[in-house]
Amino acid sequence: MRSVSSESPGAYRSEERDVVLSARNISKSFPGGVVALDGVSLDLYAGEILALLGENGSGKSTLVKILYGVYVPDAGEIYLKERGGLRRVNINSPIDAMSRGIVMVSQIPQLVDKLTITENISLTLASLRLHGVKIYTSTSRIAKIIEREFEKIGVKIDPNERVYNLTYTQKQLVEILRAIIVNARVLLIDEALTYLPLLEKQRFYQVLTTLKREGRSVVLVTHKISEAVEISDRIAVLRAGKLVGVVNTRETTPDYVRAVMFGEERVKVVDRGVVQSTRVFSDVRVLIRDLYVEDDYGREAVRGVNLAVHAGEVVGIAGVTGNGQRELLEAVVGLREIKSGEVYVDGINVKRAGIRGVRELGVGFVPDRLLEQGVSLEESIVENIAVAIAKRGLSIPWRLIEKLSSDLVNAFQIVVPGVKTPIKHLSGGNLLKVVIARELENAKRAFVAYNPTRTLDEVSAIHVRRRIREKATNEGVAVLLASEDLDEILVISDTVYVMNSGRLYGPLSPQTPREEIEKLMVM
Amino acid sequence: MKRKITSPRQAYLYTLLSLLLGIAVYLVIVALSGGDPLNVAVNIAKSFISPSIVKDFFILTAIGCALLISFRAALWNIGGEGQFYMAMLPGVFLTLFAFNPQYSQAPPPLVVLLAITLGSVMGALWALLAALFRAYLGVDETPVTLVLNYIAYYTINYLVYGPLKGRYTYGYLRTDEIPEVYRLNIRVHTTPRGTPLEAGLQHLIVQLAYYIALLVLAVLIYVFTWWFFKYSRLGLYIKIHGSNPGYLQAQGVNTKHVSLLAMAISGALIGLTGSVYLLTELGRIPYELERQTAGYGYLAVLVAWLSLLDLKMIPISAYVVSSLRNAGIAVQVAGLGGVEQTYLLIGSILLTYSVMRFLADYEVRVAWK
Repeated sequence: MRSVSSESPGAYRSEERDVVLSARNISKSFPGGVVALDGVSLDLYAGEILALLGENGSGKSTLVKILYGVYVPDAGEIYLKERGGLRRVNINSPIDAMSRGIVMVSQIPQLVDKLTITENISLTLASLRLHGVKIYTSTSRIAKIIEREFEKIGVKIDPNERVYNLTYTQKQLVEILRAIIVNARVLLIDEALTYLPLLEKQRFYQVLTTLKREGRSVVLVTHKISEAVEISDRIAVLRAGKLVGVVNTRETTPDYVRAVMFGEERVKVVDRGVVQSTRVFSDVRVLIRDLYVEDDYGREAVRGVNLAVHAGEVVGIAGVTGNGQRELLEAVVGLREIKSGEVYVDGINVKRAGIRGVRELGVGFVPDRLLEQGVSLEESIVENIAVAIAKRGLSIPWRLIEKLSSDLVNAFQIVVPGVKTPIKHLSGGNLLKVVIARELENAKRAFVAYNPTRTLDEVSAIHVRRRIREKATNEGVAVLLASEDLDEILVISDTVYVMNSGRLYGPLSPQTPREEIEKLMVM
Repeated sequence: MKRKITSPRQAYLYTLLSLLLGIAVYLVIVALSGGDPLNVAVNIAKSFISPSIVKDFFILTAIGCALLISFRAALWNIGGEGQFYMAMLPGVFLTLFAFNPQYSQAPPPLVVLLAITLGSVMGALWALLAALFRAYLGVDETPVTLVLNYIAYYTINYLVYGPLKGRYTYGYLRTDEIPEVYRLNIRVHTTPRGTPLEAGLQHLIVQLAYYIALLVLAVLIYVFTWWFFKYSRLGLYIKIHGSNPGYLQAQGVNTKHVSLLAMAISGALIGLTGSVYLLTELGRIPYELERQTAGYGYLAVLVAWLSLLDLKMIPISAYVVSSLRNAGIAVQVAGLGGVEQTYLLIGSILLTYSVMRFLADYEVRVAWK
């Protein structure tokens, strides 16, 4: 079943397939002793989709960032097929990577919101030209090329549309289009497709298959085994910075991949799942009445939402990203201006109390924009936790906070050298775990969260969901969460809503057929 | 294009290099304008081991720490000058008018305490003015604090020309001398003798005794700043205000209040230093302040920048900057140039520092169409 063992990750070479990119013995560690990659060797073939799979902190993001020139490896070499043969290259920056035909599509679209699609792509082309790549930069020509390429992959978007008017999926398509236009040979896709609804995901798969047929190669970074199995030709699994296996997708099973990914002992956790609450709810904790909220550009993002969350209840809002979920949750905790309507938490009027009053009640909040609102990167874990916990007094009881921080680090299995490590040295998953742990600790009355497991691997995600569930069931905390992961909503919620174009549809039971919910998400 | 992480050691190396390069640039300018660079270089070197830098060293350490508090919050308080001098007004009023020993029996320690307390309040208010503009009107604090320096200069000039004009000044336009009972110096009368090293040490002791109040002040402010950032809740808020105010806001902390407090504390500490400086060294306020000032408020900005906002480095950069200021004076005294020499020297260093920082932070590529 397994084509290559961890001891001989290079054995594919004997098949003499056409290697376009080869990473050899790549190692990278970060200040504070975090080892992200430890001697990883991996080949990428022409015209294949390679899934790079691994749990949180396994090093997959670090590896693609090295290939994209964001990080410089401590040791190891990168070889790229250039002028007919594999040549050793130093990739110094993303623009350098792009000029060599390596392009990344990231989870958060790297586009300038205020510019049009054409302007965004022109910007990339102009930078490439500065980098010495001979390329056209006339905007009228670019607009024509965009239209032609969109047509080829079956997408209808006006090239003169401003990016902030696009949906998340459309933005991802623009990024892929940009890769095609700069003639990428290698596409690095970092968790970009993970939470798209099935229909949109399938459209993406078609696009990727087209790219593959043209001889381009795709590295798909994901922590979802199902995604890796669905689309890839081969799956490479990273664990704790080491390459632990490369398999041909057709010859493997999800269970086998799971065992390689987590190791035998952790797989058992998966089977237990999340406990569903069976209680009847009475006490309304969060009440939203006819709420209207605007987004950052002054457009109506939330349109007449009515919702009640009871003590001990988990209300889940499903929806494709960018349909007003972020604005809704920010308004509920008092971080965003309420245009009209009312929000009450624990009987307190949020419009009057503001974020400060809401926080004082004991409301935990996991924001969508983690880096802007969830953490301060420069400060340590313990300092980040102190801000949220120590709200009174002249000085901070550091000993207490340090004890609490290490307890949280242990309880949530956050992989760090110590609680004094700056947040900026944490992987995306561990960073999210710090935020979740801290905000659950804060949540005495209510817990409001957006995508609480977005960057977590399967096992960590189940662990976090169970914690959230326990918070509701055992402590009677009202939980309001929005997630792009429909599976998550269905498994954790007592009541389900769907948010689409600022309107809320529901309530629905979590037993509602999936297709019905997906229909509401994309209608 | 923004570069990736540079280690602290690299950052300090850049600072040291920019310092040396700045001096080199200055020497080149001296040579080009027909001066004797060797002679000037010797004078600069000498000032690094001169005891006469102690006063500047204490003051710049104190104000450097004070600026750190606003700079760490990403509030660029360039108004140290204004806060420093405005803080002297209560001192002058109390010691020369309200409690002039000629007709007042008030215990001097109490008057001194009141003078420096009100001086600190004055400094805080002056800084707060800029903070209010920023917090509630969104006006950048850098130009506002800068303009407030000039308002302070001219307000004080007006007062010294008018109501505060001295009567016993031998015809000079300035305030009267602050009475001896309110002065904070300890005078040691000795003539330095012996080997140059012995004479230097004696000179140093005389200086330390004379400026003992400034020494105590610098130590107190340094310890306070250390405690403030290590243990206080506000200190942590200020650090996060500097790195990610959005996070602070999401935690329900009022970021406007944090910015007002950061500026007020910064201004209060500068005001404290200003009022002690008045009672120690200055003794009176001269007319046309802007021509007479030592520019501590601006020099301390240099101190804070050179320290890379690291408290440990503040005394070191204060030492370097006070040496350079004295080098400028030494160059003037040696007849190698006028007051412009000091500005030229410090300007050269600031220039190379800015250029080096830019080159360290960004990758520069020349492009044309």
